[in-house]
Amino acid sequence: MTSTHPAILSVGRALPPNFVDQETLIAALSAYWGARHFNVERLADLHRAARVGGRHLALPLSEYPALDSFRKTNDAFIRVGSELGAAAVSEALARAGVTPREVDHLYFVTVTGVATPSLDAKLVNRLGISPSVKRTPIFGLGCMAGAAGLARASDALRAFPGEVAVLVSVELCSLTLQREDTSIANVIASGLFGDGAAAVVLQGGERAPAPDHAPRILATRSVFYPDTEWVMGWDVVDTGFKVVLSAKVPEVIQANVGGDVDRFLAANGLSRGDVRHFIAHTGGPKVLEAFRRALDLPEAALSRSFRSLQEVGNLSSASVLFVLGDLLDAGEARPGDVGLLAAMGPGFSAELVLLRW
Amino acid sequence: MTDREARVAHEILRIARDELRLGDATPAPDAALAGALDSLQLLSLVVAVEDRFRIVLEDDDAAGTRTLADLARLVAARSDAALIPAQAPEPAR
Repeated sequence: MTSTHPAILSVGRALPPNFVDQETLIAALSAYWGARHFNVERLADLHRAARVGGRHLALPLSEYPALDSFRKTNDAFIRVGSELGAAAVSEALARAGVTPREVDHLYFVTVTGVATPSLDAKLVNRLGISPSVKRTPIFGLGCMAGAAGLARASDALRAFPGEVAVLVSVELCSLTLQREDTSIANVIASGLFGDGAAAVVLQGGERAPAPDHAPRILATRSVFYPDTEWVMGWDVVDTGFKVVLSAKVPEVIQANVGGDVDRFLAANGLSRGDVRHFIAHTGGPKVLEAFRRALDLPEAALSRSFRSLQEVGNLSSASVLFVLGDLLDAGEARPGDVGLLAAMGPGFSAELVLLRW
Repeated sequence: MTDREARVAHEILRIARDELRLGDATPAPDAALAGALDSLQLLSLVVAVEDRFRIVLEDDDAAGTRTLADLARLVAARSDAALIPAQAPEPAR
Protein backbone atom coordinates (compact mmCIF):
# COMPACT_ATOMS: atom_id res chain seq x y z
CA MET A 1 0.00 0.00 0.00
CA THR A 2 1.38 3.41 -0.86
CA SER A 3 1.37 6.10 1.79
CA THR A 4 1.84 9.85 1.70
CA HIS A 5 3.40 9.76 5.14
CA PRO A 6 7.18 10.08 5.54
CA ALA A 7 8.89 6.72 6.06
CA ILE A 8 11.78 5.77 8.33
CA LEU A 9 14.15 3.79 6.10
CA SER A 10 16.93 2.96 8.54
CA VAL A 11 18.74 3.68 11.78
CA GLY A 12 22.53 3.74 12.16
CA ARG A 13 24.25 3.63 15.52
CA ALA A 14 27.83 4.28 16.61
CA LEU A 15 29.43 3.82 20.02
CA PRO A 16 32.98 4.81 20.91
CA PRO A 17 35.27 1.81 21.50
CA ASN A 18 36.19 2.69 25.10
CA PHE A 19 33.71 0.58 27.07
CA VAL A 20 34.09 0.86 30.85
CA ASP A 21 31.94 -1.15 33.25
CA GLN A 22 30.08 0.64 36.04
CA GLU A 23 32.24 -0.62 38.91
CA THR A 24 35.42 0.59 37.20
CA LEU A 25 33.81 4.00 36.71
CA ILE A 26 32.71 4.08 40.33
CA ALA A 27 36.26 3.32 41.44
CA ALA A 28 37.66 6.08 39.21
CA LEU A 29 35.13 8.69 40.39
CA SER A 30 35.49 7.66 44.04
CA ALA A 31 39.04 8.97 43.89
CA TYR A 32 37.56 12.44 43.31
CA TRP A 33 34.60 12.10 45.63
CA GLY A 34 36.69 10.67 48.47
CA ALA A 35 38.40 14.01 48.96
CA ARG A 36 35.06 15.75 49.48
CA HIS A 37 32.64 13.18 50.83
CA PHE A 38 32.94 11.18 54.05
CA ASN A 39 30.63 8.33 53.00
CA VAL A 40 31.75 7.56 49.45
CA GLU A 41 29.88 4.26 49.50
CA ARG A 42 26.58 6.16 49.48
CA LEU A 43 27.56 7.83 46.19
CA ALA A 44 28.66 4.49 44.76
CA ASP A 45 25.24 3.06 45.66
CA LEU A 46 23.62 5.87 43.69
CA HIS A 47 25.58 4.80 40.63
CA ARG A 48 24.55 1.19 41.11
CA ALA A 49 20.89 2.28 41.44
CA ALA A 50 21.06 3.72 37.90
CA ARG A 51 20.85 0.13 36.60
CA VAL A 52 23.54 0.85 34.02
CA GLY A 53 26.08 -1.89 33.36
CA GLY A 54 28.69 0.37 31.81
CA ARG A 55 29.31 3.14 29.33
CA HIS A 56 31.16 3.58 26.05
CA LEU A 57 33.30 6.64 26.70
CA ALA A 58 34.30 9.19 24.07
CA LEU A 59 37.91 8.90 25.24
CA PRO A 60 39.97 6.27 27.07
CA LEU A 61 39.38 6.63 30.81
CA SER A 62 43.02 7.62 31.34
CA GLU A 63 42.57 10.78 29.24
CA TYR A 64 39.81 12.34 31.36
CA PRO A 65 41.96 13.74 34.19
CA ALA A 66 43.70 16.07 31.70
CA LEU A 67 40.37 17.60 30.62
CA ASP A 68 40.44 20.58 32.95
CA SER A 69 38.78 23.25 30.81
CA PHE A 70 35.72 23.73 28.64
CA ARG A 71 37.99 24.32 25.65
CA LYS A 72 39.61 20.90 26.06
CA THR A 73 36.35 19.01 26.55
CA ASN A 74 34.67 20.83 23.66
CA ASP A 75 37.66 20.19 21.36
CA ALA A 76 37.29 16.50 22.20
CA PHE A 77 33.55 16.77 21.51
CA ILE A 78 34.19 18.15 18.02
CA ARG A 79 36.91 15.60 17.23
CA VAL A 80 35.20 12.46 18.55
CA GLY A 81 31.69 13.69 17.70
CA SER A 82 32.62 14.14 14.03
CA GLU A 83 33.95 10.56 13.90
CA LEU A 84 30.94 9.05 15.61
CA GLY A 85 28.41 11.15 13.73
CA ALA A 86 30.00 10.20 10.41
CA ALA A 87 29.96 6.52 11.38
CA ALA A 88 26.29 6.64 12.38
CA VAL A 89 25.20 8.50 9.22
CA SER A 90 27.27 6.21 6.97
CA GLU A 91 25.71 3.13 8.52
CA ALA A 92 22.19 4.54 8.23
CA LEU A 93 22.68 5.56 4.59
CA ALA A 94 24.15 2.17 3.69
CA ARG A 95 21.24 0.37 5.35
CA ALA A 96 18.75 2.57 3.50
CA GLY A 97 20.49 2.23 0.17
CA VAL A 98 20.66 6.02 -0.09
CA THR A 99 23.80 7.86 -1.23
CA PRO A 100 25.13 11.01 0.49
CA ARG A 101 24.35 13.01 -2.67
CA GLU A 102 20.68 12.17 -2.29
CA VAL A 103 20.35 13.79 1.15
CA ASP A 104 18.19 16.94 0.89
CA HIS A 105 17.81 17.78 4.62
CA LEU A 106 20.26 17.23 7.46
CA TYR A 107 19.08 17.66 11.05
CA PHE A 108 21.79 17.60 13.70
CA VAL A 109 20.89 17.44 17.37
CA THR A 110 23.10 17.58 20.44
CA VAL A 111 23.25 19.14 23.87
CA THR A 112 26.76 18.08 24.92
CA GLY A 113 29.04 20.31 22.84
CA VAL A 114 29.07 23.40 20.64
CA ALA A 115 30.68 24.17 17.29
CA THR A 116 30.34 26.76 14.57
CA PRO A 117 30.07 25.69 11.87
CA SER A 118 28.03 22.97 13.54
CA LEU A 119 29.11 19.34 13.30
CA ASP A 120 26.67 18.69 10.45
CA ALA A 121 28.86 20.92 8.25
CA LYS A 122 31.81 18.61 8.96
CA LEU A 123 29.63 15.65 8.04
CA VAL A 124 28.67 17.26 4.72
CA ASN A 125 32.37 17.55 3.88
CA ARG A 126 33.46 14.18 5.22
CA LEU A 127 30.67 12.16 3.65
CA GLY A 128 30.18 14.10 0.40
CA ILE A 129 26.60 15.07 1.18
CA SER A 130 24.86 17.16 -1.49
CA PRO A 131 25.98 20.83 -1.47
CA SER A 132 22.32 21.87 -1.73
CA VAL A 133 21.49 20.11 1.56
CA LYS A 134 19.39 22.15 3.98
CA ARG A 135 21.12 21.98 7.37
CA THR A 136 19.27 22.42 10.66
CA PRO A 137 21.42 22.15 13.78
CA ILE A 138 19.39 22.00 17.00
CA PHE A 139 20.96 22.59 20.41
CA GLY A 140 19.20 22.57 23.76
CA LEU A 141 16.34 20.13 23.51
CA GLY A 142 18.36 17.66 25.57
CA CYS A 143 17.09 14.11 25.82
CA MET A 144 14.00 15.03 23.82
CA ALA A 145 15.92 15.98 20.67
CA GLY A 146 15.99 12.51 19.10
CA ALA A 147 12.20 12.40 19.04
CA ALA A 148 11.91 16.11 18.20
CA GLY A 149 14.44 15.74 15.36
CA LEU A 150 12.40 12.92 13.85
CA ALA A 151 9.29 15.08 14.13
CA ARG A 152 10.90 18.13 12.51
CA ALA A 153 12.40 16.01 9.72
CA SER A 154 9.00 14.48 9.02
CA ASP A 155 7.46 17.99 8.97
CA ALA A 156 9.95 18.96 6.26
CA LEU A 157 9.21 15.82 4.27
CA ARG A 158 5.50 16.60 4.29
CA ALA A 159 6.37 19.91 2.61
CA PHE A 160 8.85 18.21 0.26
CA PRO A 161 7.46 14.69 -0.18
CA GLY A 162 9.93 13.74 -2.92
CA GLU A 163 12.99 14.34 -0.73
CA VAL A 164 15.27 12.58 1.76
CA ALA A 165 16.07 13.75 5.28
CA VAL A 166 18.76 12.51 7.66
CA LEU A 167 18.65 13.08 11.39
CA VAL A 168 21.89 12.66 13.31
CA SER A 169 22.28 12.83 17.06
CA VAL A 170 25.70 13.04 18.70
CA GLU A 171 25.88 13.04 22.49
CA LEU A 172 29.16 12.77 24.40
CA CYS A 173 27.80 13.16 27.90
CA SER A 174 31.01 11.99 29.59
CA LEU A 175 32.75 15.13 28.33
CA THR A 176 30.33 17.31 30.28
CA LEU A 177 31.09 15.73 33.63
CA GLN A 178 31.98 18.36 36.22
CA ARG A 179 34.34 16.45 38.48
CA GLU A 180 34.47 19.19 41.08
CA ASP A 181 30.69 19.30 41.35
CA THR A 182 29.95 16.83 44.12
CA SER A 183 26.24 17.66 44.24
CA ILE A 184 23.91 14.69 44.30
CA ALA A 185 22.42 15.74 40.95
CA ASN A 186 25.86 15.53 39.36
CA VAL A 187 26.66 12.23 41.05
CA ILE A 188 23.42 10.76 39.65
CA ALA A 189 24.11 12.18 36.18
CA SER A 190 27.65 10.78 36.21
CA GLY A 191 26.23 7.34 36.94
CA LEU A 192 23.58 7.46 34.25
CA PHE A 193 24.73 9.17 31.06
CA GLY A 194 26.84 7.60 28.31
CA ASP A 195 28.22 8.50 24.90
CA GLY A 196 27.02 7.58 21.42
CA ALA A 197 25.65 8.73 18.09
CA ALA A 198 22.64 7.66 16.06
CA ALA A 199 21.32 8.58 12.64
CA VAL A 200 17.99 8.02 10.90
CA VAL A 201 17.25 8.17 7.18
CA LEU A 202 13.73 9.26 6.25
CA GLN A 203 12.07 9.76 2.90
CA GLY A 204 8.97 11.64 1.83
CA GLY A 205 5.79 9.81 0.88
CA GLU A 206 6.16 10.55 -2.84
CA ARG A 207 9.83 9.68 -3.32
CA ALA A 208 10.00 5.96 -3.95
CA PRO A 209 8.00 3.05 -2.57
CA ALA A 210 9.32 2.39 0.95
CA PRO A 211 9.85 -1.24 1.93
CA ASP A 212 7.07 -2.91 3.94
CA HIS A 213 9.27 -3.11 7.04
CA ALA A 214 9.73 0.69 7.09
CA PRO A 215 7.48 2.47 9.60
CA ARG A 216 5.67 5.63 8.52
CA ILE A 217 5.40 8.70 10.71
CA LEU A 218 1.64 9.27 10.88
CA ALA A 219 1.67 12.27 13.18
CA THR A 220 3.76 14.06 15.79
CA ARG A 221 2.95 16.12 18.85
CA SER A 222 4.95 18.51 21.01
CA VAL A 223 3.82 19.20 24.57
CA PHE A 224 5.28 22.07 26.57
CA TYR A 225 4.79 22.17 30.35
CA PRO A 226 4.54 25.84 31.40
CA ASP A 227 6.79 27.15 34.18
CA THR A 228 8.94 24.02 34.55
CA GLU A 229 12.23 25.43 33.25
CA TRP A 230 13.86 24.50 36.56
CA VAL A 231 13.20 20.76 36.17
CA MET A 232 16.28 20.04 34.09
CA GLY A 233 18.94 21.69 31.98
CA TRP A 234 22.45 23.09 32.11
CA ASP A 235 24.04 25.84 34.12
CA VAL A 236 26.87 27.06 31.90
CA VAL A 237 29.99 27.41 34.08
CA ASP A 238 33.66 28.14 33.31
CA THR A 239 34.38 24.43 32.90
CA GLY A 240 31.41 23.70 30.66
CA PHE A 241 27.93 22.40 31.29
CA LYS A 242 26.83 21.71 34.85
CA VAL A 243 23.76 19.55 35.15
CA VAL A 244 20.47 20.80 36.56
CA LEU A 245 18.32 17.85 37.52
CA SER A 246 15.28 17.94 39.76
CA ALA A 247 13.82 15.00 41.62
CA LYS A 248 10.51 16.13 40.15
CA VAL A 249 11.27 14.73 36.66
CA PRO A 250 9.51 11.39 37.24
CA GLU A 251 6.65 13.23 38.98
CA VAL A 252 6.09 15.60 36.05
CA ILE A 253 6.15 12.64 33.65
CA GLN A 254 3.79 10.52 35.69
CA ALA A 255 1.37 13.41 36.16
CA ASN A 256 1.19 14.35 32.48
CA VAL A 257 2.20 11.67 30.02
CA GLY A 258 -0.94 9.54 30.31
CA GLY A 259 -3.27 12.36 29.34
CA ASP A 260 -0.91 13.74 26.70
CA VAL A 261 -0.58 10.36 25.00
CA ASP A 262 -4.33 9.69 25.18
CA ARG A 263 -5.17 13.03 23.59
CA PHE A 264 -2.56 12.54 20.87
CA LEU A 265 -3.78 9.05 20.06
CA ALA A 266 -7.45 10.11 20.14
CA ALA A 267 -6.69 12.91 17.66
CA ASN A 268 -5.51 10.15 15.35
CA GLY A 269 -8.46 7.85 15.97
CA LEU A 270 -6.49 5.54 18.25
CA SER A 271 -6.26 4.59 21.92
CA ARG A 272 -3.53 3.07 24.13
CA GLY A 273 -4.67 -0.46 23.40
CA ASP A 274 -3.93 0.05 19.70
CA VAL A 275 -0.21 0.72 20.36
CA ARG A 276 1.85 -2.42 19.83
CA HIS A 277 5.36 -0.93 20.27
CA PHE A 278 6.45 1.67 22.82
CA ILE A 279 9.80 3.27 22.04
CA ALA A 280 10.61 5.26 25.17
CA HIS A 281 13.61 7.44 25.94
CA THR A 282 15.85 5.66 28.43
CA GLY A 283 15.89 8.52 30.93
CA GLY A 284 16.75 6.31 33.87
CA PRO A 285 15.02 3.67 35.95
CA LYS A 286 12.75 6.17 37.71
CA VAL A 287 11.87 7.99 34.50
CA LEU A 288 11.05 4.77 32.67
CA GLU A 289 9.02 3.54 35.61
CA ALA A 290 7.09 6.84 35.71
CA PHE A 291 6.40 6.52 31.98
CA ARG A 292 5.26 2.93 32.42
CA ARG A 293 2.92 3.82 35.29
CA ALA A 294 1.56 6.89 33.52
CA LEU A 295 0.44 4.66 30.66
CA ASP A 296 -0.41 1.67 32.85
CA LEU A 297 1.85 -0.59 30.79
CA PRO A 298 3.17 -4.03 31.71
CA GLU A 299 6.90 -4.13 32.44
CA ALA A 300 7.57 -6.05 29.24
CA ALA A 301 6.27 -3.13 27.16
CA LEU A 302 9.43 -1.13 27.94
CA SER A 303 11.90 -4.02 28.12
CA ARG A 304 13.84 -2.76 25.11
CA SER A 305 14.35 0.64 26.75
CA PHE A 306 15.43 -0.92 30.06
CA ARG A 307 17.85 -3.19 28.20
CA SER A 308 19.37 -0.29 26.27
CA LEU A 309 19.79 1.66 29.53
CA GLN A 310 21.57 -1.31 31.07
CA GLU A 311 23.84 -1.80 28.05
CA VAL A 312 24.94 1.74 27.21
CA GLY A 313 23.38 4.16 29.73
CA ASN A 314 21.27 7.21 28.93
CA LEU A 315 22.63 8.58 25.63
CA SER A 316 20.49 11.72 25.88
CA SER A 317 18.89 12.46 22.50
CA ALA A 318 20.46 9.39 20.85
CA SER A 319 18.82 6.99 23.32
CA VAL A 320 15.38 6.80 21.78
CA LEU A 321 16.95 6.31 18.34
CA PHE A 322 19.03 3.40 19.69
CA VAL A 323 15.84 1.80 21.00
CA LEU A 324 14.13 2.42 17.65
CA GLY A 325 17.09 0.80 15.89
CA ASP A 326 16.89 -2.22 18.20
CA LEU A 327 13.19 -2.61 17.42
CA LEU A 328 13.75 -2.38 13.65
CA ASP A 329 16.62 -4.89 13.82
CA ALA A 330 14.47 -7.33 15.79
CA GLY A 331 11.99 -7.38 12.90
CA GLU A 332 9.11 -7.81 15.35
CA ALA A 333 6.84 -5.17 13.90
CA ARG A 334 4.30 -6.39 11.37
CA PRO A 335 2.51 -4.38 8.66
CA GLY A 336 -0.31 -2.47 10.32
CA ASP A 337 1.34 -2.34 13.75
CA VAL A 338 1.18 1.00 15.56
CA GLY A 339 4.14 2.35 17.52
CA LEU A 340 4.60 5.33 19.82
CA LEU A 341 8.02 6.91 20.16
CA ALA A 342 8.32 9.29 23.12
CA ALA A 343 10.95 11.40 24.81
CA MET A 344 10.97 14.19 27.35
CA GLY A 345 13.52 16.86 27.99
CA PRO A 346 14.37 20.37 29.15
CA GLY A 347 11.56 22.88 28.84
CA PHE A 348 10.16 20.79 30.45
CA SER A 349 8.49 19.22 27.46
CA ALA A 350 7.64 16.04 25.63
CA GLU A 351 7.73 14.94 22.01
CA LEU A 352 5.52 12.15 20.73
CA VAL A 353 5.84 10.43 17.36
CA LEU A 354 3.16 8.07 16.05
CA LEU A 355 4.38 5.27 13.79
CA ARG A 356 2.60 2.71 11.66
CA TRP A 357 4.26 -0.20 9.89
CA MET B 1 16.40 18.58 73.14
CA THR B 2 19.71 18.80 74.99
CA ASP B 3 22.08 21.67 74.46
CA ARG B 4 24.35 19.43 72.38
CA GLU B 5 21.41 18.36 70.21
CA ALA B 6 20.26 21.96 69.81
CA ARG B 7 23.72 22.96 68.60
CA VAL B 8 23.66 20.13 66.05
CA ALA B 9 20.14 21.07 64.90
CA HIS B 10 21.28 24.66 64.45
CA GLU B 11 24.23 23.54 62.34
CA ILE B 12 22.05 21.25 60.17
CA LEU B 13 19.69 24.16 59.52
CA ARG B 14 22.66 26.31 58.55
CA ILE B 15 23.83 23.63 56.08
CA ALA B 16 20.34 23.36 54.60
CA ARG B 17 20.03 27.12 54.15
CA ASP B 18 23.58 28.23 53.32
CA GLU B 19 25.25 25.26 51.65
CA LEU B 20 22.36 23.45 50.00
CA ARG B 21 20.35 26.64 49.47
CA LEU B 22 17.11 24.86 50.19
CA GLY B 23 15.40 28.21 50.77
CA ASP B 24 11.71 27.83 51.47
CA ALA B 25 12.11 24.04 51.49
CA THR B 26 14.32 24.25 54.61
CA PRO B 27 12.32 22.21 57.10
CA ALA B 28 11.26 23.48 60.53
CA PRO B 29 12.80 21.37 63.36
CA ASP B 30 9.58 19.47 64.05
CA ALA B 31 8.34 19.14 60.44
CA ALA B 32 8.55 15.80 58.66
CA LEU B 33 11.69 15.84 56.50
CA ALA B 34 10.11 13.71 53.81
CA GLY B 35 7.24 16.18 53.52
CA ALA B 36 9.42 19.26 53.29
CA LEU B 37 12.12 17.91 50.94
CA ASP B 38 12.03 15.90 47.74
CA SER B 39 14.18 12.79 47.46
CA LEU B 40 17.17 14.57 45.91
CA GLN B 41 17.10 17.34 48.52
CA LEU B 42 16.79 14.83 51.35
CA LEU B 43 19.69 12.80 50.02
CA SER B 44 21.75 15.96 49.56
CA LEU B 45 21.07 16.91 53.19
CA VAL B 46 22.01 13.45 54.44
CA VAL B 47 25.29 13.48 52.47
CA ALA B 48 26.12 16.99 53.68
CA VAL B 49 25.42 16.00 57.30
CA GLU B 50 27.60 12.91 56.95
CA ASP B 51 30.41 15.07 55.58
CA ARG B 52 30.09 17.76 58.24
CA PHE B 53 29.88 15.44 61.25
CA ARG B 54 32.04 12.59 59.84
CA ILE B 55 29.43 9.91 60.46
CA VAL B 56 27.70 7.26 58.37
CA LEU B 57 23.90 7.17 58.45
CA GLU B 58 22.56 3.70 57.74
CA ASP B 59 19.26 2.77 56.13
CA ASP B 60 18.07 1.47 59.51
CA ASP B 61 18.52 4.95 60.95
CA ALA B 62 15.87 6.35 58.62
CA ALA B 63 13.07 4.51 60.45
CA GLY B 64 13.53 6.57 63.64
CA THR B 65 14.36 9.82 61.88
CA ARG B 66 11.19 11.62 60.94
CA THR B 67 12.10 15.22 61.65
CA LEU B 68 15.14 17.44 61.65
CA ALA B 69 15.11 17.27 65.46
CA ASP B 70 15.27 13.45 65.22
CA LEU B 71 18.20 13.76 62.83
CA ALA B 72 19.94 16.17 65.21
CA ARG B 73 19.52 13.72 68.11
CA LEU B 74 20.99 10.90 66.03
CA VAL B 75 23.93 12.99 64.88
CA ALA B 76 24.59 14.34 68.39
CA ALA B 77 24.76 10.78 69.72
CA ARG B 78 27.19 9.61 67.05
CA SER B 79 29.40 12.53 66.26
CA ASP B 80 32.72 13.33 67.85
CA ALA B 81 32.27 16.20 70.33
CA ALA B 82 35.01 18.17 68.60
CA LEU B 83 32.90 18.39 65.43
CA ILE B 84 29.88 19.92 67.14
CA PRO B 85 29.79 23.73 67.22
CA ALA B 86 30.61 25.05 70.68
CA GLN B 87 28.56 28.21 70.32
CA ALA B 88 25.11 27.90 71.86
CA PRO B 89 22.56 28.93 69.23
CA GLU B 90 19.89 31.53 69.63
CA PRO B 91 16.68 29.99 70.94
CA ALA B 92 14.89 28.07 68.19
CA ARG B 93 12.25 30.14 66.46
